[in-house]
Amino acid sequence: MSDVDELETRLEALTEADFQRGLEVFRSKLKEAEAAFLNACVHCGLCAESCHYYRMDPVLENIPAAKLETIAAVFKRHFTTMGKVAPGLVGARSMDKDMARAWVDAVFGRCSLCGRCSLNCTVGILLPRLFRAARAALGAMGLTPPDLQATVDTALKHGNNMAITREDWVETVQWIEEELQMETGDPEARLPLDKHGAKILFTVNPREPKFFPLSLQASAKVFWAAKEDWTLTADHGWDLTNYGLFNCKDEEAGLITQNLVDAMARLGCETLVIGECGHGFASARWEGEEWLKQGFPFKVMSILELMDEYLRDGRIKVDPAKHPKKVTLHDPCNLVRHGGICEAQRRVLRASAADFVEMTPNREHNFCCGGGGGQLAMGRYKARRLNSGGMKAQQIRDTAAEVVVTPCHNCVDQLGELNKEYKLKVQIKTVAEIVADALVP
Amino acid sequence: MSVLDFNGTQVQLNEEGFLVEPSIWTEELAAFLALKEEGLEQLTEDHWSVIRFIRGHFLENDSAPMVRAMCKTTGVPLKRIYELFPSGPAKGACKLAGLPKPDGCV
Repeated sequence: MSDVDELETRLEALTEADFQRGLEVFRSKLKEAEAAFLNACVHCGLCAESCHYYRMDPVLENIPAAKLETIAAVFKRHFTTMGKVAPGLVGARSMDKDMARAWVDAVFGRCSLCGRCSLNCTVGILLPRLFRAARAALGAMGLTPPDLQATVDTALKHGNNMAITREDWVETVQWIEEELQMETGDPEARLPLDKHGAKILFTVNPREPKFFPLSLQASAKVFWAAKEDWTLTADHGWDLTNYGLFNCKDEEAGLITQNLVDAMARLGCETLVIGECGHGFASARWEGEEWLKQGFPFKVMSILELMDEYLRDGRIKVDPAKHPKKVTLHDPCNLVRHGGICEAQRRVLRASAADFVEMTPNREHNFCCGGGGGQLAMGRYKARRLNSGGMKAQQIRDTAAEVVVTPCHNCVDQLGELNKEYKLKVQIKTVAEIVADALVP
Repeated sequence: MSVLDFNGTQVQLNEEGFLVEPSIWTEELAAFLALKEEGLEQLTEDHWSVIRFIRGHFLENDSAPMVRAMCKTTGVPLKRIYELFPSGPAKGACKLAGLPKPDGCV
């Protein structure tokens, strides 16, 4: 059975108990602010033009306010007095199969949780928070798209989201260490594993060891040049991803975060450094403590901040002439708009590349590539994902850049698909890859 | 879901172009997918050694191999893998070897 049929079968089998469970979870996610947001939309329509789904396919269903309305209607029917006594008057709707289907379509199928609508909202409604509450409710009804849930399940079962064995991970780290020694000509260049008391624990996206280890090699080369005291861990806690941010089941997100916390405690490191990943950074830096209901006894940083510090402190030196091609930068939503890491990557790129141009718009106003919010894990929405990425394709084309740099492996993957779909003929790289190639003694 | 006509046989692909039924894979189908899905007109010996290794690994382990294993077993250097399969080891090579799409950021 395909994923699409499976979800439809589940929808058809929903019982009253399922709806009640979904509503309970939905209610549990609504504090005062969220309840206020659900009553606050003034239908000004500004969010429409801010959404990449709407811009590329201007239908009513793609307007963020319309997606919000679908959710607010159920809120009113079940949790407000007017909605209970006179639902027709206030646009209230009961949670039933049709509404559940509409919710799935709105919050999984037409939203990458990028938050650009929120930034442009007249009254400051935090739409992604409400969409996440709806995703959580759907999850409680068994309606998380199966392929998205599979990625979370794999992480829970194997300690990383690609089911990489300890042996395969360690062998790849050792292989990349040999490659780094050849590249640098330094037989002492290392990718340290489980070095107790190292200052930094570095974490990566599983797609690096599995399929794209050159970015891991590039990060390691930067650490080598900076003479950093760092380590990776062989056991659970090396994977920085957390798709619990996307299926919005906070308990599962917390269990995945716990792997990082445990690794930090096991190795006694001072700082957890998150490799180039938007959602991984947002999860570890901003959400993790909330999921676990505990403060972290360590600092969390992005490798972008670290590379910026190395340059500022003269710990590494780069020659921009090594990158003569025109380079532009894509801002991952979870790292920039949600994550607050905005200027570090720009300082690093300006130092490392001779011809750096911004896309328009950029920084927190940047458009999502279309691959966020777990979209890359939900095959059923591929056509919409690629279509919504048309905004990004046009932004890239307008820069006339030959290289698109982005500090997020999820974005790298989507940009790769856009490159093919829209025949952009660009190279796609991570920031560390640019820095590693520009290093000079 | 889409359907490809392969010498009169209807081949079902999922939304992302991976085989719905991995067991129907043959080398002739791989060559056909290479053209239709990846725009590769000719598969070289290097392509085939990578595809055959991935297929064998999948039949034995029910999973995609690490790129490390692809390089080590076939002798094809890492950078060459990316040249051979422009969509990468997952969406390129594994797709042509008839594997389901791997989980994660791919």
